[in-house]
Amino acid sequence: MRILIIEDEARIARRLERMTRDFFEQNISGIAIYDSLQNGLSYIENHTIDLLLLDLNLNGENGFDILESMVARSFHTIIVSANTDKAITAFTYGVLDFVAKPFDQARLSMAFRRINASGKNAEHTMKYLAVKKAGNTRLIDIQEVLYIKGAGIYSELYLQNGKQELHDKSMEMLEQLLPDSFERIHKSYLVSLDQAEKIIIKPGSSYSLLLKNGEILPIGRSKYKELKQKMI
Amino acid sequence: MQRLLIFLTIALSFSSCKSAVTSEHSPTVYQTGDNSLWAEKNFNDSSWSTKRGNTDQQIFWARSVVKFIKTPSASIGLQIEAFGAFELYWDGVLIGHNGQITQKNKPEQPGTATSFFQIPSALADTGRHIVALRITQSYLNGVKRPIGIKPDIYADLLRRPLILISFMNLMAGAFLTAAIYYFFLFLNSRRKEYSVLIFAFICLLFFALQITEYIKFYLDIRYTDFFLRLEIIGWLTFAIALLVPLYFSIQFSFPQKKALLIILFIILITVYGINRQHYDLTAMLYSLVMWLASLIIVANAILQREKGSLIVLSGLLATAAINHFLFYDFGLFISFTMIVLCILYLHTIRTRMIEDEYQSSLLLSSRLQLELIKKNIQPHFLKNTLTSMIDWVEESPKQGAEFIQALAEEFDIMNSISEAVLIPVRQEIELCKTHLTVMQFRKEIRYEWEDSGIEDSEYIPPALIHTILENGITHSIPHADSLITFKLSYLRTANYKQYTFCTHALNREVLKKREGGNGFRYVKARLTESYADRWKFISEAAPGGWLTTIQIYDK
Repeated sequence: MRILIIEDEARIARRLERMTRDFFEQNISGIAIYDSLQNGLSYIENHTIDLLLLDLNLNGENGFDILESMVARSFHTIIVSANTDKAITAFTYGVLDFVAKPFDQARLSMAFRRINASGKNAEHTMKYLAVKKAGNTRLIDIQEVLYIKGAGIYSELYLQNGKQELHDKSMEMLEQLLPDSFERIHKSYLVSLDQAEKIIIKPGSSYSLLLKNGEILPIGRSKYKELKQKMI
Repeated sequence: MQRLLIFLTIALSFSSCKSAVTSEHSPTVYQTGDNSLWAEKNFNDSSWSTKRGNTDQQIFWARSVVKFIKTPSASIGLQIEAFGAFELYWDGVLIGHNGQITQKNKPEQPGTATSFFQIPSALADTGRHIVALRITQSYLNGVKRPIGIKPDIYADLLRRPLILISFMNLMAGAFLTAAIYYFFLFLNSRRKEYSVLIFAFICLLFFALQITEYIKFYLDIRYTDFFLRLEIIGWLTFAIALLVPLYFSIQFSFPQKKALLIILFIILITVYGINRQHYDLTAMLYSLVMWLASLIIVANAILQREKGSLIVLSGLLATAAINHFLFYDFGLFISFTMIVLCILYLHTIRTRMIEDEYQSSLLLSSRLQLELIKKNIQPHFLKNTLTSMIDWVEESPKQGAEFIQALAEEFDIMNSISEAVLIPVRQEIELCKTHLTVMQFRKEIRYEWEDSGIEDSEYIPPALIHTILENGITHSIPHADSLITFKLSYLRTANYKQYTFCTHALNREVLKKREGGNGFRYVKARLTESYADRWKFISEAAPGGWLTTIQIYDK
């Protein structure tokens, strides 16, 4: 795990570091600490990380302004902040967790455990997917997403308007963030069930899912039963 | 209410103007000289002139025919408008005299300009009668006033002015009350608003004008003093014509007050110079000039979107309409009253504005109090402090306790100053120092405080320096020695006090340029609260860090 902590209170940054090390123990390959957005951002530009711990109010700068561009990236973001009133908004942007100050080891560990938990998490209030494009970040309403196709460390988002976007997070990571309406139907497909029309059974017990727009996606054998339950 | 009164006055005076006597009378004819036969009813005066001519110091006679078509229902009287002293004959019978005409070795005793005579009922039957006057006018020789003779019911002649006066005095009383009230208001208000004083004067002048105008009904004014009253009326009107536009120009913040006043004064003086002796015309022109000047100011006010300007405009237009349809004397008073009503209305608007300002200043003060209290309970401060505190307590309880003590102390000071508008500067410095102790625990940076030249007797708004200090902590990076120094210095000059607050550190780069955040807004609002606009606040990067200067002017 490569971890970045952006926190302007030295004492709190050290506390975060200590607790992070206690949790991940041997699995840490590096922890970087920065006390300002600028320095943190330039670190991200030049290094690959797996996890960002971010305070939303840094030296009077509003961390929300850069939250979009953070969640568009390939790593998970956990917010550690005093401004609990911002929690709901942060979740809609697609952060993994929001840890309120003051925090202890137990609460922080809970957030860390979400990273490795496959599939869904408890909080599913994500409303947007932030996508990096030509240096800018754009927010896509998840209502616009038909389905997501895994492409290794990236994901391809297929949108209702027929366009496709590339997301830096893997499909597994997005699955952790997206709400229940998104279902994994195949090892490479995550579909919004609102868009599903019906299951088509073909001879030789292969299954596919017909979408409302006429597209047909494959259904994995292991996923069929669960999906059938949900479709009814 | 006042408008209603005026309306009634007009109605009454019109209804009473209609004479109860049905009569005709021929134009008055004149003859210089003296002959007792000239009083006779049957004397043939066809050779007499309708012009008075130059009578100089001599005795002259005036004759006029009065015809009663019906026998009058009540005792008849005559109202005579004449300059001089005279004896009055009715069909050759001496009825009475006004003053004493010039006799041998005895100069004339001037009569009153207006006089009333009762005619015995026996002499006032239907048909033709002759009014003859034997006159001298040894004073004001140049004035050749035609003689006015008006027959009417005697009681009506006396009653009519009383009715008119009663209404006019009612109005005058209202203006006197307003004048006194606004004088008191001016004397007792903290903010000396000259518009209030001007308005008080306008009301007083207006009261004086009405009294002077109608004083003729209850003072016997000898014809020699006749013009004195008109002269006074003229100057009163002059003053009103100057003050009313001045008032409007102040009220509607007209840009060129001085120029307007000078031009107005010149025009009024010119009017006075050109029309000397034409008293009524002069007064009428004065009010016309006043009206035009006010109209210009109000039109400008409408362009400036001033409150109440439309009301005043409609008032001015109404006065123009009234003047167009009414006899001048009434028109003048009614239009003046309208203008004063407009001013009164403006006054209520002004009062309302002052109330609003007062309310908003109260609101501002309570909002600032609230902001001060919020400083220590806003989540960013409180939760970061608590998080650090937990960490300190877990790691080293002894230092954790110190941290808690420092925070408690900061809370204490905040509490004690939270409702003050100004606090001793030492208390402010104490607050800053405890805040630095708290922040040292949080940021693990050494903060040093210095102050110099501080005068302990000085007071400043609460948390003023504290706010600038918070900014300094937030936006600074310590130099290599992990130390940030803050220095407060005080300076007193002949006309201002100055606090300089210097943060010795590196300045953080900011992502977004901001026009000073809430902190600076708080500082500026506090300065305004205590020093109105007598302050200057500069906060900028300086060599070696950040420099904030606050200047407070004495005047």
